[in-house]
Amino acid sequence: MSATPRRKVEPILSAHGIVNRFGRQALHDKLDLDVARGEILGIAGRSGSGKSVLLKTLTGLHRPNAGTVLFSGKTLASMSPAGRAACVGVLFQQGALFSSLSVAQNVMLPIREHTALPPPDQEKVAAMKIELAGLPADAGIKLPSQLSGGMVKRAALARALALDPRILFLDEPTSDLDPITATGIDDLIRELNRGLGITIVIVTHDLTTLVTVCHRVAVLVDQKLVVGTIRELKRSNDPWIEELLHGPRAQGVMRQEKRTHGNG
Amino acid sequence: MSRAISAGTSPNVVVASDDKGVALRGVLDIHTLPAAERALKRQITQLKSSGLDVSNVETLDSPGALFLCELRDAGVALSGVRDEHQALLDLICGLKFEPLPKLKVVPGWRQVVIDLGKATDEIGHDAYEVIEFVGRAGTAVVRALAHPRSLRMASISRQIRETGIDALPIVGLMAVMISIVIAYQGVVQLRPYGGEDFTVNLVAVSVLREMGVLITAIIVAGRSGSAFTAEIGVMKAREEIDALKVMGFEPIELLVVPRLIALMITLPLLTFFSDVMGLLGGAVMTHSQLDVSFLQFLDRTHQAVDTSDLFVGIVKAPVFAFFIGVIGCMHGLRVRGSAESVGKETTRAVVASIFLVIVLDALFSILFEKLGL
Repeated sequence: MSATPRRKVEPILSAHGIVNRFGRQALHDKLDLDVARGEILGIAGRSGSGKSVLLKTLTGLHRPNAGTVLFSGKTLASMSPAGRAACVGVLFQQGALFSSLSVAQNVMLPIREHTALPPPDQEKVAAMKIELAGLPADAGIKLPSQLSGGMVKRAALARALALDPRILFLDEPTSDLDPITATGIDDLIRELNRGLGITIVIVTHDLTTLVTVCHRVAVLVDQKLVVGTIRELKRSNDPWIEELLHGPRAQGVMRQEKRTHGNG
Repeated sequence: MSRAISAGTSPNVVVASDDKGVALRGVLDIHTLPAAERALKRQITQLKSSGLDVSNVETLDSPGALFLCELRDAGVALSGVRDEHQALLDLICGLKFEPLPKLKVVPGWRQVVIDLGKATDEIGHDAYEVIEFVGRAGTAVVRALAHPRSLRMASISRQIRETGIDALPIVGLMAVMISIVIAYQGVVQLRPYGGEDFTVNLVAVSVLREMGVLITAIIVAGRSGSAFTAEIGVMKAREEIDALKVMGFEPIELLVVPRLIALMITLPLLTFFSDVMGLLGGAVMTHSQLDVSFLQFLDRTHQAVDTSDLFVGIVKAPVFAFFIGVIGCMHGLRVRGSAESVGKETTRAVVASIFLVIVLDALFSILFEKLGL
C-alpha cells in the first residue's frame, strides 16, 4: 500500500522551528515538518501530546510562539482569503457543517464566495463533490442534523474539497465511526489522493488508517516529531512508538496488512 | 492560429482554433471555467468534428475535468490528455451523479397558513407543558420543604450567591435609573398644576408597589432564568441528565428544586433592595429639582405610603421567582441534543418568563384592587 515512490521535490508544506507553549508547559519545541506534494502523511501521538494544536498551527488557526509554516514558500497570512481557501481544506473532527444550511449549500458556500461560477454550474460542481465524497444525491438537500456520523464526515469532506485545495487536513476522519464506515473513509482518502493528486495530512489515533493509508507517519514524542514510514518507525527505540506499533492492536492491523499486501 | 480568445485575467485559459482543430491552453480551473465554457459553447459543431486538443492545459482541477467529461459525453474527442491529468479525468468521468433534487417551493400564502397552524399547535403544547411542569416542580418544592433534611443546602447557597448577591449592582443601578425617570417626568407633568410636591408620592407609590418588583423580576428573568436554561440545557445536551437518572437521582429534585428555592429567597430580598435604591434615586432627584431635603423626603414618603404598599410589592416577588425559575428550568430540560437547541431554548425561556411576569403583575393589580389594598 505504502509503496508510492517518494521523489525529492520541493515540499508543499514546510513547517520550521514551531514552538508552542501554554504557560510553562511546552507542547512543541522547535519542531520541523516537511510534507511532499502528493503524499499522505499521518500525525499520531498520545492524547494531550499536542496533535490538535499542531493541526491548528499548520492550518493557520493558531499562532505559534515561534516558527513559520510555509505553503510552497508562502505563509497563509500573506495570501488573499480566496488564495487561502484554494490552498488549504480542513475536515474538522465533528464535521463543523453549518447547521442552518443544507449539505449542498455548505459545499456551495466557498464556491459562491470565491469564484464567479454561475449558479447552475455551482450546483453541478456541488453535486459532483457530494458524489465524489461518496454521498447519495438526495443527501445534498438534507440538513447536517439529518445525517449519520459517517455521512457527516463525508459531507464535511465534500465541503473541504469545494475549491480543490492543494492540501487537505483531516482531523480524526475515522473517529466515532463503526469499522466498516471507517474503512470506507480510508478508501475514500486513498482514492482522492490518487485521483485528485491532493496532498493529505491526517491527524489520527486510528492504527488502521496510519498503516494502510499513510505513506509516512509523524509521531509527536517529547515535543518533537519523529517522521518515517511505518517500517522505519517500527525500528524506533522510543518506548511510546514501540508500544504503538508492537502492541496488541497493532499486531492485528499489521497481520491484515501483510495478507492483503501479499495477495496484491 | 486564426483566432484566439483570451478570457479573464492571469492565470487564464486560451481557446485557439485553426484548420487543424480547436486547442485549449493554460489553466482550466474553477475561476477560468465560465470563460472557457462560453468560448467553447460557440464552436460546439466544429468541436464535434475536429475534437479538442488539451495537451497544452497546464493546470486542471475537478470542475475543469467535469467540463471536459461533459464535452466528451457530448461527442467531442479529447486529444493529448497529459499523464498527470489522466487520473483526475478518470475519477471525475467515472462519477455518475444526478443534479441536486429541487426543494418543493411552497407559495407564500400557504406558508403563512402552515406557520400559523404550527404556531397555534405549539402554543397549545407549550401551555400544557408549562402547567404540567409547574405541578411537578411545585410538588417537588413542597415535598422538599416538608422534609428539610432532603434540601441540598450547598447547592441552594451557591444559587443564592449567583442569583442574588451577584445581581445586586445591576438591580440597584436599574432601580435608581427608573426612579430618576419617574421623578423627572412627575416634576414636569405636575408643575402646571402646582402639584410638583406630589412627585414624592408618585415616586414612592410607584416604586414600592410596581416598579421595584417589576424591574427586579425582569432583570432576574434575563439574568438567572436564562442561566438556568443554559446550565441545565448544556447538561441535557451532554447526557449529564441521563447520567443522573441512571445513578438514581431525580433531576427535578437535584437541579430544579434548589434553584427554585434559592430564587424564591433572593427575589424578595432583591426587591426590597431595589425599593430602597429606588427611593434613594427619587430623593436625589427631588432634591436637585425641587430642593426637597432628604429629611423632608423621608417625611413625605412616610405620609404617602404605608406598610401595605411595601407588602403589595414584595409579596409578588416569590410568585414571580417561582415562575421565572420554573420556565427557565423547564426550557433547559427541553433541550434536545445539539448546542443550537440550547441557544434556542434560552431565548424562548427569557421571552416566556418576562411575558409571564408582566401578565402576573397585571393579575395582581386587579386582585389587590378588588381586595382594596
